[in-house]
Amino acid sequence: MNETLFVQLLDLACGGLLLTAVLVLWRRELVVIIHVFAVQGAALAALVGVLAVHEDSIELGAVAAGVLVLRAGVLPYLLRRALASAGEARRETRPLVNVAASLLTAAVLTLLAYAVSRPLVELAPSGLMSPATQAIPIGLTVVLIGFFVLVTRRRALSQLVGFLLMDNGITAVGFLTTSGVGLIVELGVSLDVLLAVLVLQILTARMRETFGDTDLDELRELRD
Amino acid sequence: MITLLAPIIVPVLGALGYVVAGWRRSTAWVSAGSAVLVLATAIATALDVARSGPRTAIAGLLRVDALSAFMLIVIGAVALLATIATPAFLRAEITAGRATARTATRHSVLVQLFLAAMALAVLAANLGVVWVAIEATTIVTAFLVGQRRTRAAVEAAWKYVVICSAGIALALLGTIVLNYAASRAPGGAVGLDLAALAANASMLDSGVTRIAVVLLILGFGTKAGLAPLHAWLPDAHSQAPAPVSALMSGVLLSVAFYAILRVKVIADGALGTGFARTALAVMAIASLLVAASLLLAQRDYKRMLAYSSIEHLGLVALGAAIGGPLALAAVLLHILGHGLAKGVLFLGAGRILQVTGTSRIGDDQGGVRGLAARHPVLAGCVGVGVLALIGLPPFSLFASELGIARAGFAAGMGWVTAAALILVLVIAAVLVGHTSRMLLGTPPDGPGAATTTRHLPWPTAIALVGGLLACATLGVTAGPLSSLLHLAADTLVGAR
Amino acid sequence: MSALGIVGGVVQPVLIVAGSPLLVGVMRQVRARLEGRAGPGVGQPWRDLRKLFGKERISPRGTSEVFRVAPLVLVATTLVVAVVTPFVTTDSAVDPVADLFAVVALLALGAVTLALAGLDTGTAFGGMGSSREMTILALVEPTLLVSIFALSVRVGSTNLGAIVSATLHDPVRVISPVSLLAAVALIIVIVAETGRLPVDNPSTHLELTMVHEAMVLEYAGPDLALVELASAMRMSVFLGLLANLFLPWGIASTATPIALLVGVLALIIKVGLLGVLLAAGEVFLAKLRLFRVPELLAGSFLLSLLAVAASFFLA
Repeated sequence: MNETLFVQLLDLACGGLLLTAVLVLWRRELVVIIHVFAVQGAALAALVGVLAVHEDSIELGAVAAGVLVLRAGVLPYLLRRALASAGEARRETRPLVNVAASLLTAAVLTLLAYAVSRPLVELAPSGLMSPATQAIPIGLTVVLIGFFVLVTRRRALSQLVGFLLMDNGITAVGFLTTSGVGLIVELGVSLDVLLAVLVLQILTARMRETFGDTDLDELRELRD
Repeated sequence: MITLLAPIIVPVLGALGYVVAGWRRSTAWVSAGSAVLVLATAIATALDVARSGPRTAIAGLLRVDALSAFMLIVIGAVALLATIATPAFLRAEITAGRATARTATRHSVLVQLFLAAMALAVLAANLGVVWVAIEATTIVTAFLVGQRRTRAAVEAAWKYVVICSAGIALALLGTIVLNYAASRAPGGAVGLDLAALAANASMLDSGVTRIAVVLLILGFGTKAGLAPLHAWLPDAHSQAPAPVSALMSGVLLSVAFYAILRVKVIADGALGTGFARTALAVMAIASLLVAASLLLAQRDYKRMLAYSSIEHLGLVALGAAIGGPLALAAVLLHILGHGLAKGVLFLGAGRILQVTGTSRIGDDQGGVRGLAARHPVLAGCVGVGVLALIGLPPFSLFASELGIARAGFAAGMGWVTAAALILVLVIAAVLVGHTSRMLLGTPPDGPGAATTTRHLPWPTAIALVGGLLACATLGVTAGPLSSLLHLAADTLVGAR
Repeated sequence: MSALGIVGGVVQPVLIVAGSPLLVGVMRQVRARLEGRAGPGVGQPWRDLRKLFGKERISPRGTSEVFRVAPLVLVATTLVVAVVTPFVTTDSAVDPVADLFAVVALLALGAVTLALAGLDTGTAFGGMGSSREMTILALVEPTLLVSIFALSVRVGSTNLGAIVSATLHDPVRVISPVSLLAAVALIIVIVAETGRLPVDNPSTHLELTMVHEAMVLEYAGPDLALVELASAMRMSVFLGLLANLFLPWGIASTATPIALLVGVLALIIKVGLLGVLLAAGEVFLAKLRLFRVPELLAGSFLLSLLAVAASFFLA
């Protein structure tokens, strides 16, 4: 692949990751959030795909397909099912930090991610992978935004999306740094994430059974 | 080769057995049998490693050295305690209508998978696989925590999965960053193999490794119950069924800490000993403070035990921060001693919950009071267990706490160690106070909310007394274990 | 100062003063047709202005000079921006003023003056409109600065002419994440700044929803005409800026008559199209509650900041 085209496509995929992360923070309708999450999965798969074509790696291409199936297909499907079982509550009504403030916080988080990842970017060789390592801060920003969503949202499903956002970001960092951590670990991680989402989905349903709601404010039985 | 795989395969087979046959009178003891096999292979592996050094299997994916072998022994020993007491526990739950045979089957399957995941975590040669195994323990234990399906149990399970998964995601990020540092090491990519990383640590880029180490310690620290991400621990440990609490508190925390120990070797090689020491010392003191402050007014005895686990992991972290062969040998002994004592106490607490129907520490309005009068054996075991837990001789926790303190003063961390010791004394006083209110005094009138017979089942009694005896024996003499302890500590200071 | 710059400096203000009311007319007409009304025709804003200019000057009792000067300042600042910003030609008549910070400061100056005039009247509506306008302004101005700054990072200059010519020579930049993020942010703030839906409704005099209209409620006659004209000019300026920052093609880079003619036509077409799109979009939008407006603007600020961040990360 032509070098400038590679850089353009890589940048576009990264921009997609970032934009979708911001949209998750921005929107309140859970259905929209799930759609945005699926788009992010596709952007992540595109990122891996671009890297695969650039390196002529069939293994990486297969991983890209796997990422697409898991993160743009299976996980959003599970989330939609969890939403269906969560009943009426379709909106994130009262996040702990209001949307405007969380958007501004996200801006600060971006700068933080940029500052923290300086050493990572500086370690990059001035070779082929250089445009990819330049984009590491974007992956890190997605991780931080995911963590923020996880911490400040009250709906079970939004927390779930926050967790998955973190995971998408981590995966992106992994591919941007070294094209992955080896097939076995990759498979193990994907399996773990899938199972964690399944477990949380079942717990959401049980929460609805026992609490009649999935507003996590209801979780106040256990405290000291 | 086969002894290396056995600790993983045996529990998986056990789980399959339960899936096929279900939990019933004839299969109730399968889990204990699998624990015995795990312990036996662990001892065999330890002997083998002590004689002929580290071994690898399956194309270098699994690797056992003295430290892994020791951790396997801890897993096997605590698992044995917990699984011996499990059949009686489950039977009592079924009688009380809080569980069905299906719940019991699922419980047994998940506990076996839990054991397999922990064994994989300590045997894996690759940091990525260690991460996968530790995250797998979260997934299999989630339903164990929420087994009772009450509001509190569901809440605890949710918090447990969310906090632990998020925390451990940080460790994954750390792993990836470390992999990046390793791939850029001068002299060829190192990969994520723990031994290779430790050997080549000095070649890693220091800035990147620093980020990786912070993330890894924070992430695995979450799972080990260290502050600041400890919030899940009291909830999960107090809501899980007693044998699972025993396993989680006794070994799961230590297995997560095992990952931190491995990371620390790499950090020390790449950044000098100061960096990981500071991080761990801060987390250790924070954990001790959290435990002490929340224990003071604690009303629930299972939560009390959970906070005591935070305290002990804090001590372990302090020992790891101090470093050096003496402190590390003491840390490992502490892990084993705490596993046994806490296992006994959680099993005892589960039994108390079954015979009294309340998990509140006795006060004017009710709760558990005067237990010694009605259940002398149970009360005796719990009382002695708490004495072991606060580090009185002859129990092994005394020896290990002494070792950590001596090493701390010798290593020039006098102030930190002194602060930790004061907190430990406060916690000891509080624990004794709470326990004496439960055990002594006059029992409340009436039959209470008892849901099971007063008679202590003999397997439970064996588990309680046996655990305490083992703990006491270790305190008097570590015997053949001491050479393994020193070998393992040497692995960690890099003197191979 | 080049010949191209001088020509631009003459053609641009004439074009914008003459064209802005027509743009407003086109937008109202589009909206009217989409809503199934006949509409007053494209020339109506000009007819209104002619009528207003012919009236007597009056100002409310108790108002100070601020009230009287504000329309002039508003028109003047906008006119300066129209002179210097690269709309028709890439060179600027007064090159140092064609700087990103100077242009944004000029636009902000006009808005602040009008808000002061609203306060000066001392009426409830004026004060309310001003306070709302300032709330919006506080988020709009930083976004405007930051999003254009994101584009200037790659060029290495904050001169608007330089940014436009750089995009002209390297069209691939337009599809980069930096441009896309900055474009989205800029569109949102322009909608807010020019007082369109969903932030403000330009065609309402309903007290609870007014922002811009509330501020200028006390103006009449020629003063009102100036305010209306300046508002129309600001909208053209913003749309022109948006068009040329992201789609600069057609702009004249040589001082030949053909190039200038193409430049003028291109500007008219681009701004006209954007205006039509904006008007058509408004038909499908409801006004946001005022409390939700900061959310929208904070989002656009974040996007612009991300654009800057990306311009550093992905350089």
